[in-house]
Amino acid sequence: MTALPGLSLPGLSLAPALAPSSTETRTQDLPAGSEYRFEVPFTRTLRLRILSGTAELFGTELAPNSKDAYTLSGTKGAVYTWHGCRLELAGEPESEYVAEETQMTSYANVHFALENAREKAGAQKEIGPRVLVVGPENAGKTSLCKILTAYATKSGRQPVVVNLDPRQGLLSIPGALTATTFASVLDVEEAGGWGSSPISGPSAVPVKMPLVYQYGLGSPEEGKTFRPLVTRMALAVTSRLEEDEQARASGCIIDTAGASSHGKGGVYENITHIISEFSVNVLLVLGSERLYSDLSRKFSNRPSEEPISVIKLDKSGGCVDRDETYMQQLRQSQIRSYFFGQGSNNLSPHTHWASYSSIKILKINDASAGVGSSFLPGDDDDVYGSTTASIYETVAPSPSILNCLLAVTNASMTDRHEAIRDSSIKGYIYVADVDETKEKVRLLAPLSGAIPTTAMVMGTFPEDVSGLVG
Amino acid sequence: MSLPSAEVAADFKDALQDLKINSRPEISNLTIIAKENTEHAQGISRELEKHIQTTRPEWKLPALYVLDSIVKNVGTPYTLFLGRNLYSTFMSAYAIVDASTRKAMEGLLKTWKQPVPESVDPRPVFSADVTRDIESALIKYRTVAIQQQALSQKQALQHAIPPRPPVGAPWRHTPSPSQTAARYTPTNDPRRQQLPLRDQFPPAPTPPPNHFPPPQQQRSFLPDMQPSIDLNKLNIDLDMLINTTKMEWASNPGDSHIQQKLKALIDLQTILKSQQLPPDQIRMIQQQIIQLSPAPAPTPPVSIAPPPYVTSIPPHMPGTSSWEAGGPVMGFHPPPSVRTPQPAIPPPGFDPAWLSSLLTSSTPTPFVSAPPSFPPPALPPPAAPSLAQLLQQYAPPPTPVAPPQPTPIGSADWLLQALNTHKLLPGTPSNGNDVELTTASIAKKSRPHLISKLYEALPNQCVTCGRRFESSPKGKEMKARHMDWHFKVKDPDVAKRGVHRDWYIGERDWIEFREEDEAAPAPVSNGTSAGGPAAAKKEAKDQYIHVPTDAALVHAPCPICQEKFEPQWLVEANDFVWMDAIKVNEKVYHATCWEEYSRGSGLGGGRGTPDSILGKRKAEVSSNGLYKKARTDL
Ligand SMILES: [Zn+2]
Ligand SMILES: [Zn+2]
Repeated sequence: MTALPGLSLPGLSLAPALAPSSTETRTQDLPAGSEYRFEVPFTRTLRLRILSGTAELFGTELAPNSKDAYTLSGTKGAVYTWHGCRLELAGEPESEYVAEETQMTSYANVHFALENAREKAGAQKEIGPRVLVVGPENAGKTSLCKILTAYATKSGRQPVVVNLDPRQGLLSIPGALTATTFASVLDVEEAGGWGSSPISGPSAVPVKMPLVYQYGLGSPEEGKTFRPLVTRMALAVTSRLEEDEQARASGCIIDTAGASSHGKGGVYENITHIISEFSVNVLLVLGSERLYSDLSRKFSNRPSEEPISVIKLDKSGGCVDRDETYMQQLRQSQIRSYFFGQGSNNLSPHTHWASYSSIKILKINDASAGVGSSFLPGDDDDVYGSTTASIYETVAPSPSILNCLLAVTNASMTDRHEAIRDSSIKGYIYVADVDETKEKVRLLAPLSGAIPTTAMVMGTFPEDVSGLVG
Repeated sequence: MSLPSAEVAADFKDALQDLKINSRPEISNLTIIAKENTEHAQGISRELEKHIQTTRPEWKLPALYVLDSIVKNVGTPYTLFLGRNLYSTFMSAYAIVDASTRKAMEGLLKTWKQPVPESVDPRPVFSADVTRDIESALIKYRTVAIQQQALSQKQALQHAIPPRPPVGAPWRHTPSPSQTAARYTPTNDPRRQQLPLRDQFPPAPTPPPNHFPPPQQQRSFLPDMQPSIDLNKLNIDLDMLINTTKMEWASNPGDSHIQQKLKALIDLQTILKSQQLPPDQIRMIQQQIIQLSPAPAPTPPVSIAPPPYVTSIPPHMPGTSSWEAGGPVMGFHPPPSVRTPQPAIPPPGFDPAWLSSLLTSSTPTPFVSAPPSFPPPALPPPAAPSLAQLLQQYAPPPTPVAPPQPTPIGSADWLLQALNTHKLLPGTPSNGNDVELTTASIAKKSRPHLISKLYEALPNQCVTCGRRFESSPKGKEMKARHMDWHFKVKDPDVAKRGVHRDWYIGERDWIEFREEDEAAPAPVSNGTSAGGPAAAKKEAKDQYIHVPTDAALVHAPCPICQEKFEPQWLVEANDFVWMDAIKVNEKVYHATCWEEYSRGSGLGGGRGTPDSILGKRKAEVSSNGLYKKARTDL
């Protein structure tokens, strides 16, 4: 039986005890065009196997007759079938049912429409469609992105998937914003369901290579660093698409936070910013009539600019509200698997003691990151220009940093704050222990060797994880 | 400590189950198992024989290659055990595989008559009396096949359809006379009694292509004898037929006959929905649907009793088929290479009538609805050509210069061509994808012919991860490389050697990074990149050595920069390696350090001091440097 990541490692007090799950298997027939929806808590596992027919999990086709069942834990998902299938199931999901009404036909049609656009772009050696997915929380934006990504790779494409929702932690941990070119099958068993960033050993599913930036706050509407980061990421993604001939025609798929779709009086500043920075030309609006009418009014008719296709999509009936407890467990599971791996990929992170004097930590300045503060007219200059207000403040090591995650940037401590803010990161380290009398901290790093001496940034999101190391 | 024989044999059997393609690593793995367990040779040999007899026809050849590899690389006692039943092992497989596999098998047989290449032992792999019997059986078999071929050629002529039958007259199949499947009888074979398969190919009555035992659930839409023009009903019938076919396909995702049929039906549906057709054409389509539908055809009422063996075959789920040794072999899917529609003249040794009877009896029961007591709806290969024929009938008069049909009639390509040249799919782009980036085009409308691009168009699926490949030679090559990759990353020792997550790469590295497809051919060395020194440096950086086993070496740092080496997994090496490493005089250096150092000392100048090298290397490798470069670039 496969356990949660890192469960076998000593001292992981956080890891919940797995309820013994029954080994009894049952079969479930799915008629063509239906889906099996399930919720598996983090304390249990669901194992599934296809006995006949075809089936996919968020667009990723499951292997037929595979000897090893797929093992899912802490997942709310749906297995869809275009042709009908028979599944073998083992384990006790919290809830499960078969739904005949799904949105898969529309979602697949989006893929085929994008394929036409990619075909056209490829013929003209241009960058393919830049797709932005927006909608309120729990409308299934990320699931739609996964389906579009899986179908694109199945069609031989290599789209760049950009995650601008800090709550997701795509191929990284929550709090990060990432961009990744997907050329291979998604890893449906991995926490988050996308796959894993590179490790030093072999991996049963091809690893993905993300470009990662630290955001460190829970919502893009918080603070002032989101938009400059979007600008920076758009630059990197556009450069990649221009230079990478294999990926160019595939374009990109951008996932956003539900919060970005709330808007203020019908104005969606972050969406507008993303659209202009990434030159978005396909806008998929999920599950909100009002948002659709607001955005199509604004973007459908832009006489002087490239037209944007604004498309309304219905929310899938399978979308469930993911409560804060679940989201927090998911975050912790992602953080654990960043250091310790998951499933059969057990990783060996490294801990060692460092003196107070050897580490320098920055923290987003509260003054400039006031919760709920929004851009005022004319504010933009402050963000891009040489602002006098500093973005970060230095944090002296003390017991207060215990259990914090620190993003290791590629910028030097002496760089301007804007350079640190815009820097992609090397990864994360975790403060496992603080010895005040000896003035030392115990750090958990993904690999051995000296901790880089570049600037380290502490965020307020995700929340501290206690007891990651015993 | 040795394991009980049964356990070893069972392990070997398990490993065999996974062998579905000609994968060298898997075959050599199985050979190694056999080699390391010669004391259990008898059990292993029996499992191998059993597997060759019972596995699906398309998986038989890889299994035969395992046999070949074992007898050639291990030899006795396997040659002894496997030689005993080689005749039946070989011939029972030969009887049901496709022409290309037969050819490969004949090639194997040839090598078995000779000594192992580069071996000092002058004796043949198998003793002459073992191979001689097989040879004479093959000769006999071929003679029968040639006679059969002459016969079917004659029939093909009789069946020849007038190129353009008068419009309005529905084209019908004429019932074909019963044929006898090719049979072989080994001459003077003393082991006749052991032949489990010899008598399992009874003279199979070949049903006329249009007649099938009716499945119960289909009776509800029995057509009228005089079909009237009812477009609604036609659509419903077509829909049901498509659904049945889809179900069939779902249980046999590898079967391209069904796939072709499905495609043709879906194309027909597109035509019906997008065009106003004249009544006589609609009537013809209706007639065609009736003929395709698995219900008794209206004409002529020749009833064919299902072959007796059908009822004795338990319905089985595809993929879980486990046939007892000596069980009927009829239940297997046709081998992949016969899926491509055969030209009118069958290749030697290939009997289409026999194949079609095989097809009729082999389609597994769709699990969703078909009652197990009835053979499931199944259609013989002629389905596609007859539909194409129909389409040709109501096509506009051909231009005087009718281009010759280069593609064999009845193939999916031919059908597509027919559809396109007759402009039966108007307004559809050449790829059939009509979806536009608008809410209206996207909303709800189902397009099964597009979904098939994600499934049926890529019929060759990896059973380990589900990735699909085209059935083309290129697709097959890609799949083979993909399977090799799976094999390489399956390393049981990994858990023991601290694998860790790597740092993420920097911006500039990411922009320059190119995804590698494990199924794509290995990239030819990058000759396009300009700049000699840069290229040389890259080469040095890419040098690696396997992590030394010598304890002293493992912990020794690079003598030049004093940094320790980091083990890294390298797929190409299938091992943990030290990258950027070179072994010189029993010491391991960073290849880049060594290069700088030796260049420096070669020049005789003071360039190669460790300090400066360290500084240089750090600057090159650290992503901070790259980051700064990226900043200035962006
Ligand atoms: Zn695979
Ligand atoms: Zn060195």
